[in-house]
Amino acid sequence: MLFFISSTGAGGLGGSVLIVLGAVGVLAVTVGYELLYYQRFSYVLTDDTLDIHSGVVSRRDREIPYRRIQNVDVSQNIVQRALGIAAVNVETAGGSSTEAVIQYVTVDAAEQLQTDVRRLKRRERSDTATDEESKEAVAPDREELFSIEPSELALVGVFSFDPRVAGIILAVLSGSIPFVSPALPGDATGVVLFVLLAIIGVSIIALSWVVGAISAVVNFWGFTLTRTEDELQYERGLLQRYSGTIPFDKIQTITIEDNPLKRQFGYATLGVETAGYAPGQAGSRGSEAAVPLATIDRVHRLAHELEEFGIPEYTRPPKRIRIRYFIRYVMAIAVISAVAFAITWVYNITFPWYLPLIAVLLSPIAAHYKWLHRGYWLGDDHLAARSGFWTRQAKIVPYYRIQTVIDSRTIFQRRWDVGTVIADTAGSLSVLGNDAAAIDIDEQEVSTLREELNDRLQASLRKREQQKAQEREQRRLRAIEQQKAQAQGVDVAEPASFEWASPVDTDPESASPKPKPKPKSIDTDSLTPAITPIPSSEDQHQSDTDESTESDTNT
Amino acid sequence: MKSLHPRIRILWVVRAVIFAVIIGAIGTAGAQTLGAPIWIPIIFAVLLLLLGVVHSLLRYRKWGYEIRDDSLYLERGVLTEVRTVVPLVRIQHVDSRRSALERTVGLASTVVYTAGSRGADVRIPGLEPDTASDLRERLKGLAIEADGEDAV
Repeated sequence: MLFFISSTGAGGLGGSVLIVLGAVGVLAVTVGYELLYYQRFSYVLTDDTLDIHSGVVSRRDREIPYRRIQNVDVSQNIVQRALGIAAVNVETAGGSSTEAVIQYVTVDAAEQLQTDVRRLKRRERSDTATDEESKEAVAPDREELFSIEPSELALVGVFSFDPRVAGIILAVLSGSIPFVSPALPGDATGVVLFVLLAIIGVSIIALSWVVGAISAVVNFWGFTLTRTEDELQYERGLLQRYSGTIPFDKIQTITIEDNPLKRQFGYATLGVETAGYAPGQAGSRGSEAAVPLATIDRVHRLAHELEEFGIPEYTRPPKRIRIRYFIRYVMAIAVISAVAFAITWVYNITFPWYLPLIAVLLSPIAAHYKWLHRGYWLGDDHLAARSGFWTRQAKIVPYYRIQTVIDSRTIFQRRWDVGTVIADTAGSLSVLGNDAAAIDIDEQEVSTLREELNDRLQASLRKREQQKAQEREQRRLRAIEQQKAQAQGVDVAEPASFEWASPVDTDPESASPKPKPKPKSIDTDSLTPAITPIPSSEDQHQSDTDESTESDTNT
Repeated sequence: MKSLHPRIRILWVVRAVIFAVIIGAIGTAGAQTLGAPIWIPIIFAVLLLLLGVVHSLLRYRKWGYEIRDDSLYLERGVLTEVRTVVPLVRIQHVDSRRSALERTVGLASTVVYTAGSRGADVRIPGLEPDTASDLRERLKGLAIEADGEDAV
């Protein structure tokens, strides 16, 4: 481009023609590239993989096994909505990035793809299931679990204060303070400065609040959650429509979040985390929220719909830890005051630097609530951990989702004889250190809890294994019964030919049982071992419950 | 509980020395250009060196690992004591690797990966190359034996 511009000086008219030509050329290449990209892009649903072929210059063929697909999302931005097309995002575990994007398909095709992948995935999972079963599953029972109400949406906006906006503005401002301060009137007293700062502060808060509110309303416009047989479907967005699915068996943790304001009005937030991908992550903020805001009642019902964890009764950290929290708050306040004092001293301005010290009076309350909100709970199948003085977060993790158990004791924690136990899961959010953690529990409890979590994980995995085996067994039995029914159906038709083949046998009664064994004999041989487990599967169930009680008594 | 190979101390101490020397060199250069007394960064570097050496020795003493019936257990950390339980069912894959520094002292490490967000944290340093590959093979075998059908 620079070349063209410089040539205009020399060539005059010829130069501008060159510019136009260049622009046209670039446009043509871009359009050509896009056309080629469109032409070269194709996807195929094979029996066990989704194949995507793409690329203009370098070709890329990618096969994604259905088993690995976590979510299939459909999103539409404004332009796409106007044109009636959509983009399909395919997410797999192991990475927060999207595995494959299929752009520019019609909405119908996108939805078709979504349902097809779901169906094929299901078929692959239940490999013994007959075609009829998988066909039945295509049209699953849809049950709307949640649909945001206008009042709730308004509240989402009200509650969506975005501290990041304030942070960004503050960062920009703080950089400019040395340049602004000389510009202030020379006789600026502390009061004037204070008022100025207060105005700036209030406007920053107001601005970030408005920004947060608008983006939250835009993001969660028309939010609905629908439940099908084995997955959760969500849909939301005003300008850009997002829709996607969260398979139940990919859910890692459930988070229930609230703060004093939400609690006061009886609301809470529900978050659902899947492996490697949190739904709607593409959104700019608050995106991990499966339900941005709903009455506590609805949130709890929904959470139990996803995981039946019961009602947690939290074990709190030892009471003495409150003193530690108090000291920590006081220290933080002292540091802030010291910094404020240093600034007033260096720049020689009279500013009430001791103002933050007022917060010391509030810190015992904060310390108490911090202690009150912290705790863990070991349920029958779930670990629940709660924390947070202002924003209170309760995380619920099924034991079988735990990846590693880590306990750590910092040098400060050791002085108070406490430690932290973290149950690490395969979620993507946990990268931010957001794992379910029992923080500051007594030192003696730390080791027991660590070992206990490992034991419960192992027990839970064994239990699941048995359940799966049982399910497989039952499915096989059902298949056998169907075959049997079919075989009998054949029997009804066959005796005529059989009688015809052996007309010597005059006894009518012996004729009908006789043909029966023959077509079946082939089957029964292979099936006998499978039929016998009927009582044994019950035994299995019994032993399974025995085991779980055993592990309970061990604790 | 198994401890690491004693030679890992050499590696860690060397690392602490290199770090202190670099910081000291930067500090001295900075002091010289600013015209500040040179002994400040030098004393700082010496302190850093002492701390680093003590930390390395303590670190060796605190490190331990153990393969249990159903899990791999690690203990480590000087300032923050960390104990990790990695259930064998959760092991995705196991690496043994040797960095350039490790090779000079004839040691290797084994890294255990899980699907967890902190998976790559599980690294056992200070193993003899044979021990490292043995450990890798053993963990691999145990992980296959434990067989988690749904690892994620």
